[in-house]
Amino acid sequence: MAPMALAGVRILDFTWVVAGPVATRILADQGAEVIKVERGDENTMSVLGPRRIGLQGDLHRNKRSAAINMTRPRGIELARRLAAMSDLVMDNFSARVMRMWGLDYASLAKIKPDIISISMSGLGHTGPRSNYVSYGPTLQALAGFTRMMADARGDPVGYGYSYADMAGGYSGALAALIALWHRRRTGRGQFVDLSQFEALASLAGPALLDIAVNGRTQETPAWRSQEGPAAPHGVYRCRPRRSDDDRWIAISVRSQGEWERFARALGNPAWTAEPRFRTLFLRMRSHAELDAEIARWAATVDAEAAMALLQEAGVAAGVALNGADLAADPHLTERGFYAPVKLPDGSSTRVTGVPMRLSATPGSIRSVAPEVGEDNDYILGELLGLSRAERAELIAEGVVWG
Amino acid sequence: MNENGALAGLRVLDLTDLKGHLCARLLADMGADVIKVEPPGGDAARRIGPFVDDRPHRDRSLFFWFYNLNKRSLTLDLNHPEGAALMRRLAEGADVVIESFRPGEMARMGLGWEVLHALNPALGLCSIAPFGQGGPYRSYEADDSVLTALSGMLYVNGFPDAAPVRPFGLQAYHSAAYYAAIATMCALLARDSSGQGQWIDLSMQEATAAAVEHVAPSFFGTGEIERRRGTLHWSRFFRVGRCRDGYVMHCTLGDWTSLVEWVNGDGKARNFGDDLTAPEWEEVGKRRQDAERLFDVLDEWVKDYARDELLERAQLLRLPYASVRNPEDLFGDEQLLARGYFHEVEHPELGRTFRYPGAPYLFTGSPWRVTRRPPLAGEHTGEILGGELGLGADELAALAAEGVI
Repeated sequence: MAPMALAGVRILDFTWVVAGPVATRILADQGAEVIKVERGDENTMSVLGPRRIGLQGDLHRNKRSAAINMTRPRGIELARRLAAMSDLVMDNFSARVMRMWGLDYASLAKIKPDIISISMSGLGHTGPRSNYVSYGPTLQALAGFTRMMADARGDPVGYGYSYADMAGGYSGALAALIALWHRRRTGRGQFVDLSQFEALASLAGPALLDIAVNGRTQETPAWRSQEGPAAPHGVYRCRPRRSDDDRWIAISVRSQGEWERFARALGNPAWTAEPRFRTLFLRMRSHAELDAEIARWAATVDAEAAMALLQEAGVAAGVALNGADLAADPHLTERGFYAPVKLPDGSSTRVTGVPMRLSATPGSIRSVAPEVGEDNDYILGELLGLSRAERAELIAEGVVWG
Repeated sequence: MNENGALAGLRVLDLTDLKGHLCARLLADMGADVIKVEPPGGDAARRIGPFVDDRPHRDRSLFFWFYNLNKRSLTLDLNHPEGAALMRRLAEGADVVIESFRPGEMARMGLGWEVLHALNPALGLCSIAPFGQGGPYRSYEADDSVLTALSGMLYVNGFPDAAPVRPFGLQAYHSAAYYAAIATMCALLARDSSGQGQWIDLSMQEATAAAVEHVAPSFFGTGEIERRRGTLHWSRFFRVGRCRDGYVMHCTLGDWTSLVEWVNGDGKARNFGDDLTAPEWEEVGKRRQDAERLFDVLDEWVKDYARDELLERAQLLRLPYASVRNPEDLFGDEQLLARGYFHEVEHPELGRTFRYPGAPYLFTGSPWRVTRRPPLAGEHTGEILGGELGLGADELAALAAEGVI
């Protein structure tokens, strides 16, 4: 068995909330040793739920936790010693915090010349708004994404989740890997100033080019296809499943061949032959009437049956799955995506899988999320070589939470 | 500073369509030599708008431009035996092939993993498909919106009594592309010790499901099925509010004392039977539990404020409020401008220069940079097949006559 892709890579992880932990989680899944430095006096992120299950279980699995008190000079010293043994240091603070601790890139490079430092702040380390406080949902608002999703009255509705945290997390993980590749070839580390706001804004690309090039004011696309013409292209309410009437299917019909297969799958009802639906151009022009016809059909069928029927005909269609549906989805189940894991108390839970499958060095879930400070002995004892008595003294002094 | 970029020297063959073209661009931006392999006539994404001056043309698609900046273009018919043979020759000298064909299609064209691996054992192959290379939905059709449905992303947007709201910005494609780029870099790093390339199976459904932080985790964690909550974020610490001249994103995770002092100073802390100065609201759990009532009081407070005035004052108090802006606002954003976010890219064939959005990250030692504008269809066919593979002028002419290039 080949070693994991990131075996031997050590990351000192000061990130918190969601975006930063997503980045280091991705790297931990591929074998990096991620040492999460966090405070042990209060779990400010308990608002995200218990530590080992649910979101936090997903965010921190495969990581090790050290509960080091960074308000103490000796706590900072421990962190600096860990940094000297690490390949990357990652944080998602504004510039001030790491500088205050002497853990900014310039200071780190003095103790570990080839260190890679990645700071994933909200709006970047430079510029007039570098101290803005932000979270995923507020960055989505600033970047124009919230406004581009509107309700029936045209008011902004935005997402039910934090895509900004994912954009920040993914770009943070990719930046770490690219910087590692570069270091292996040149021997040089570097500092990466990652603005989560910019990472997100870059994903509005085609809309931004339309503004820059054509000067066009952007309107919410609603259900208009964002990737080339399609009609029908929408979501339709299906027959209730027992008492649940919140069942929907998304359908996208692009080519004329797909339209013909779509009509046939529905049994060629008379409306599919009407002249106003004959071509893609006409279907787009009459999309409201078309959607009304499809909605009438969808209301008579189960969402799952509708998907099977349309997919059988080669038409893109998918049930709007909820959490329970995802857990039971036959395809994800066969691929083992939401794998069960054992918790230390003997119970078990399921976690989100590793959504990339490398044939020779697959990622894996090797350990569940640690409780805060769970790996103090390994980190302070094995890595830093502190004796049991020294560790006890650090705890007694309040430098480490035991 | 390594001006050539961190990935200088890497050769990437980009066989993707719109499902994967962002992946190869992320590598091209950092210095990889990315060859976009398009069917004769050009990639299908070239037919997707918007277009420059709204004039549809394969070399004027802004959709194509954004995803293909910094790449070179080679037109090659992979369905033709000569085309596939040339692709195999290119693969011999490449580090990575990225593709998004239907599962089985690469093998059918004589470009399957076994063939490529035998030709060049160090080569990595990243296969991006809607549902991955195996499993019951393997042959299912999907576009971005269908993928958002089947990943749990769509279900939670919008209001409980109305249809789910379509996410903006092709998030299924973008999530998959980022994971594909991450996986590709992992495979390259693993090659440093093994010398061997590997095959990556990237399911877009899985990548998108992993991008929704709460839907599956809440179900596995507590058994709760997350539903649509209007503009209220699932964490219940954020909701859209309406100011006199626009919208703001409220946030109740900042310094509560500062927020309440401000609201109370405006005489708005008591409303609808709630009193925000009561100690119980200091508890973050209370603010979560009774979020809707809390935001109703805050909505009443912000409605007479001008949006930007509210935002500036909130940020001075370190309250994580934000204005709900239009995408156009980014072009005048002081922060983006101060950081040099936008890049002017010259398009000599049009005699014009256009402003492109910039980097997701600033590398201080090996820059993200623009080295070339998006390619015209087949712009580099001659230099790649002629100059680099050494084909003669008459061979190129014959291939063109047969429609291979």
